[in-house]
Amino acid sequence: MTRFEKSGLWGALALLTAGAVVAVWSPPDAIQGDYVRIMFVHVPSAWLAFLAFGVAMAASITWLVKRSPTADAVAASSVSVGVFFTALALLTGMIWGRPVWGTFWDWGDARMMTTAVMFFVYLGYLALRRAIDDPLQRARRSAVLGVVAFAQVPIVHFSVVWWRTLHQGPTIVRPDPTIDGRMLAALLVNLFTFTVIYVVLVLFRLRLSSAEESLRARMLSAENPLAGSAVASPDLEVLRNA
Amino acid sequence: MNRFWLQAAEVARKDLLIEGRAGEVLHITIPFGAVALLLLPLAVGTDLTLLENIGAGLYWVIVLLFGMLVAFRQTADEGPAQRDMLAMMMVDPVARFAGKAGATAALLALFEAALLPVVVVLYDPVPVGGWGWVVVAGLLVAVGMAMIGTLAASVTAGLRTRNTLAPLLVAPLSLPLLVGATQVYNSLLGGDSPFVFLTLLVAVDLGLAIVGVLTAPIMEET
Amino acid sequence: MLAVNSRIVELQGVGVRFGTVDVLKNVSLDICRGEIVGVTGANGSGKTTLLRVLATLIRPHSGQGQILGKPIGSGETAAVRGRIGLLGHTAALYPELTLAENLRFASRMTGVDEARADLVLAAVGLQGASDRRLDQCSNGMQRRADIARLLVSMPELLLLDEPHAGLDRAAADLVEAAAREVAGRNGAVVIVSHDTHLMQPLVDRMWRIDEGELHQTNGAMGESDKRTPQKGAT
Repeated sequence: MTRFEKSGLWGALALLTAGAVVAVWSPPDAIQGDYVRIMFVHVPSAWLAFLAFGVAMAASITWLVKRSPTADAVAASSVSVGVFFTALALLTGMIWGRPVWGTFWDWGDARMMTTAVMFFVYLGYLALRRAIDDPLQRARRSAVLGVVAFAQVPIVHFSVVWWRTLHQGPTIVRPDPTIDGRMLAALLVNLFTFTVIYVVLVLFRLRLSSAEESLRARMLSAENPLAGSAVASPDLEVLRNA
Repeated sequence: MNRFWLQAAEVARKDLLIEGRAGEVLHITIPFGAVALLLLPLAVGTDLTLLENIGAGLYWVIVLLFGMLVAFRQTADEGPAQRDMLAMMMVDPVARFAGKAGATAALLALFEAALLPVVVVLYDPVPVGGWGWVVVAGLLVAVGMAMIGTLAASVTAGLRTRNTLAPLLVAPLSLPLLVGATQVYNSLLGGDSPFVFLTLLVAVDLGLAIVGVLTAPIMEET
Repeated sequence: MLAVNSRIVELQGVGVRFGTVDVLKNVSLDICRGEIVGVTGANGSGKTTLLRVLATLIRPHSGQGQILGKPIGSGETAAVRGRIGLLGHTAALYPELTLAENLRFASRMTGVDEARADLVLAAVGLQGASDRRLDQCSNGMQRRADIARLLVSMPELLLLDEPHAGLDRAAADLVEAAAREVAGRNGAVVIVSHDTHLMQPLVDRMWRIDEGELHQTNGAMGESDKRTPQKGAT
């Protein structure tokens, strides 16, 4: 690990600790009580999911324009980390929803629906990358999907908003719209913390990709296997002698 | 421009001719969709009021999930030799996308039309005024699904996991189409204007068309 | 010495890599108009890959050159695909369509008069089977139909991959006639085959791919030829 990476890791751990401390320090909510503290994980996770996939879209566009291997690596790394945070957002949302809203899943929450759709789309993105061996094909198809997937996000979001707006469901309990200053501070600290964690994780993931590329390059500079060298002349003598 | 439309029309015509001979949609996919509509009440309950209320929604879910089988039918999957041939004949990639999506849209419209009497018989959904708008929604859904399916097919072309991966990619992305189609019906049922959701369907289709046009040449690059 | 502009293909130091595996290394060749050239080599030596480079379907990762006047590796070569004909291992036609429908499709897509489709079918001896579906035809008939497809828009550069495989004598004669026709019209033909005996009477020059590199031969059997099987290899 480089000094920069070590610093990043320790920094992230320190921030995570600080985030946990302020989350505990923050007062309980007037309605939700202590359940509000899940928000300090849920909201940053959801924010990072959108950020990660937004970065992936930008990197995908960069690849389509410049055919840069780095852009492809950034897109793939960002999606990998984004899928993790999306799952975390959905899980914490469901854990939060059960005691507060009385249900694991709130059909009235357009953002949760959009997030769930994104989760499955990017699972598909990762499955697509796993299914393609050729690096150029993999980069090309992933880039196209990376753009299409995120471009759909606002459409999915607004479609669900329209669906819910015109057909209101049962009344649900909501947090007090005027958020306490300490809660806001705790939320912002954790938002910052999770953003740093995202950057650290993506950098680690990129380093892994870079190591894989270096290995590939070392193999290339050495005696490359020729495709034809895998085929030898048949020799039926071995059957006769068996 | 003429050559573009000629090529698109030829690709669509060829796909429809092949499908007409193979009969995959008519003899397999449509009956499969009908069977699904038949099985669902056994799971959710056969209360007539319940079925009346959910019939329209279930119809659209079946159209979307089973409609993917139309988009990914065997006869639409060109082998490497055929893809090479089209490339060597300098068929415009966008024309090819338009032709394939057009043929798939026509087959999806047929699929929807064939399942409509099935859902009416089995579920007896509440009739609404302005049925014409439901038909318009159906056509917009057919076009949208065809484009998503054609895009997904090109992204997964040649992969061994194509038949499972392509639906995984299409299903979540078709959510706006599902919301638009079901809410057109529900709006009419409630006496509201369906135009918001028709606008949504048009916007999705336009967005997909733009994506298709921009990505088709990229997918055929060497 | 032939004038430079009579060269329909020029490749210098061309390499093709798939992932970490080199298929072609440092391939250099030139093909002049009016020539029929052969490329042979052991199984998996890269013969088909070379053909696909010439067809502009594969962009080499190294090297330079031109195909029909367009520089390779630039993406411009796609513009000349309409002037190149490729006969691959499997028929590039649609099994559910009849022979006539397949050829009319090819005619319409390439902007050629549909009447030519019927003419070409007759030229390859398949006019009696024009209403038969491709998947109802024998392998030999499918190959003839594929050749007919190429003749619909007579290419300047004809690329044939194992053209004799699965053909009877009459169909093999057809392949040779088609090659001579293209060459006679100031085009060029590249035939890839592991069967040097069938190629030799037809070609003006022959190359062999060994270790990913191309070497011109005069068609004589070298040591490497004696080691590798010549017929029925898979």
